[in-house]
Amino acid sequence: MGSGTEAGPYRGVMTGNGAALDVEGLSRSFGDLRAVDDVSFTVPGGLLTGFVGGNGAGKTTTMRMIMGLLALHGGEVRWNGAPITAGDRRRIGYMPEERGLYPKQKVLDQLVYLGELSGMSRADARSAVMVTLERFDLADRAGERVEKLSLGNQQRVQITAALMTTPDALILDEPFSGLDPRAVDSMTDLLREHAARGIPVLFSSHQLDLVERLCDRLVILSRGRVVASGSVDDLRSRGPVRYRTTLGGDAGWIRDVGGIHVVDLDGTTALVEASDPPALQRLLRAAVERGDVLDFARHVPALSEVYREVTA
Amino acid sequence: MRSTVWVTVARREIVTKLTDRTFLLSTFGLIGLLAVVLGVQAFMANRTETYTVVTSSAPAAQMAAQVELVAEATDDKVSVTVTRAADDAAATRALRADEASVWLHEGGDGWLLTGKADVPDGVETFAATAIREVTLGANAAAAGTSVEELVRGSALSTAVLEGDAEKAGVAQALGFALALLFYLASFTFGYALANSVVEEKASRIVEIIATKITTRELLAGKVLGNLVLAFGQMAIFVAVGLVGLTFTEYDRFIPAISGAVGWFTVFFVVGFGLLACLWAVAGALASRTEDVQSTSTPLTFLTTGVFFGALLATGTAKTVLSFVPPFSAVIMPVRVLEGSAPWWQALVALVILVVAAALVVQVAARLYQRSLLQTQGRLSLRQAWSTPD
Repeated sequence: MGSGTEAGPYRGVMTGNGAALDVEGLSRSFGDLRAVDDVSFTVPGGLLTGFVGGNGAGKTTTMRMIMGLLALHGGEVRWNGAPITAGDRRRIGYMPEERGLYPKQKVLDQLVYLGELSGMSRADARSAVMVTLERFDLADRAGERVEKLSLGNQQRVQITAALMTTPDALILDEPFSGLDPRAVDSMTDLLREHAARGIPVLFSSHQLDLVERLCDRLVILSRGRVVASGSVDDLRSRGPVRYRTTLGGDAGWIRDVGGIHVVDLDGTTALVEASDPPALQRLLRAAVERGDVLDFARHVPALSEVYREVTA
Repeated sequence: MRSTVWVTVARREIVTKLTDRTFLLSTFGLIGLLAVVLGVQAFMANRTETYTVVTSSAPAAQMAAQVELVAEATDDKVSVTVTRAADDAAATRALRADEASVWLHEGGDGWLLTGKADVPDGVETFAATAIREVTLGANAAAAGTSVEELVRGSALSTAVLEGDAEKAGVAQALGFALALLFYLASFTFGYALANSVVEEKASRIVEIIATKITTRELLAGKVLGNLVLAFGQMAIFVAVGLVGLTFTEYDRFIPAISGAVGWFTVFFVVGFGLLACLWAVAGALASRTEDVQSTSTPLTFLTTGVFFGALLATGTAKTVLSFVPPFSAVIMPVRVLEGSAPWWQALVALVILVVAAALVVQVAARLYQRSLLQTQGRLSLRQAWSTPD
């Protein structure tokens, strides 16, 4: 179990309770392509951190570097403030993007094998596997070959492989892809449960709605660089303060109000930024003089808007 | 605890194989075949040929008894029984009815041996010897001398300066058997190893495994597991062979060959380890099972080359190859078996083989490590070597 609670040199950005995983200045090239470029972020213990970015943004490469599957061309991965070791990595539950199990081996046998490779005894691995499979209602399928299971069940076996060791951290590459809505819910519960143990949980996804609903923090990656990171509220309120207003008539005249910048205009509705508070008051007064004001409110962008903006 | 991860890997290799029906069927099939071949050998060796000699006169009956004595004294695999017929017609009838193999009677310039369709070689030889001895004795006595006097100084004995042709024959046969065993083991288990490596690549489970143990530990475990399997299978074959051999006429050679089998064991382990690492690399270079055929082609040639080298090389070429890995793995034990290599040469060849194996392990580990996570298509050796890890 992670036991990084003692006061050390490390202080997380947003400390949950317990261990933390830090990525500092990570870089990696493939030939001329700089796939990951000076990426830094923290995965605090006890929180769910979402890792977001388009295809080819560098999420999988970063996760593989964290797991030691790819050599680092620059930077460092730190576990509880110290450079991560092979032993630390063995205690991390990892689910790769491309799912893989021995298709012809029985579910129980290969999970026990993976548990043993993680350093568990045969007996411990066995009971841990059974407990986790029970959770997924798969205990009675333990004696079957993986290839006989449905894809959804294979996915559950895969996540069992990552969770059964009671890991010190979770690094999951697209854990929700291929899951039906019910399975998404049980996966969500499971991730929350593990985060509640105080361990850092990092998972990648390109389903923004899911990430917004689920995550405590998120890291947005674009073309190999971190373009934004922080809590979801943080990110949504980080941009310039904007107001949305809907008038009784055409809103085109707003463009001419001094100190007001129109971000978006659509008939009677306008999205604006004000250079200073008095400008906003001037706008409101002018609007009331001209006619009805149906709506005037602070506009907090949805995560998807933030995402589009930072990755543009 | 960490030192035992590769044992865990090896155990999985072994258990997977031992529960594989194809593997079990082929192993037991080969053992069965071996048992049948040896059984036929043993049956042939222990079979006693019995010939019946029929006679129709008192002198002939006397002579036939003499033939029986000679047969008894000369060959324990051939026995002669004598029956008496009332007259010549009855003797002929007995021949035609297959009640007798030959009819011994007086005729021509002495004796006549009549068969139904042919006269069996064995009986003819014994009859000729018996008749010559009896007649020679009678003639000598008539001339006032004895057989011993007549043949004095005519004894011919034989001696050989080097070895023993029959033993050399056995050595050659055993050498062939050992070369074949090595070839079969390194080929079947090598190919299985390559497939087991590519299976992990193709199913991507290697990405999970590589976060838990080093690729070197994985490679070591896989090679070890297959070595244990190959060695176990070979030990069973050799044991069945040796036990079977004790039932045949070649059992007297067993003590002489056991020393060479000891050398073979050591060379087998090291040589197999060397080739197994290369097979693992062949597997790692592929991404799908279908690719293994082409990535392992050079190895197929090498393994077959070792086999034919052991079979065909003679003279200086054989001596040289017996020091060159991986040929030495088979050729040196064969030379020890033939008695053409002293123990120190075997030791030198073994040291060279061990050093070569250690180098191959280093190179193979690097190639294996770098190609293991490349899951797009086939890699060339050059690509694998220069791929950043």
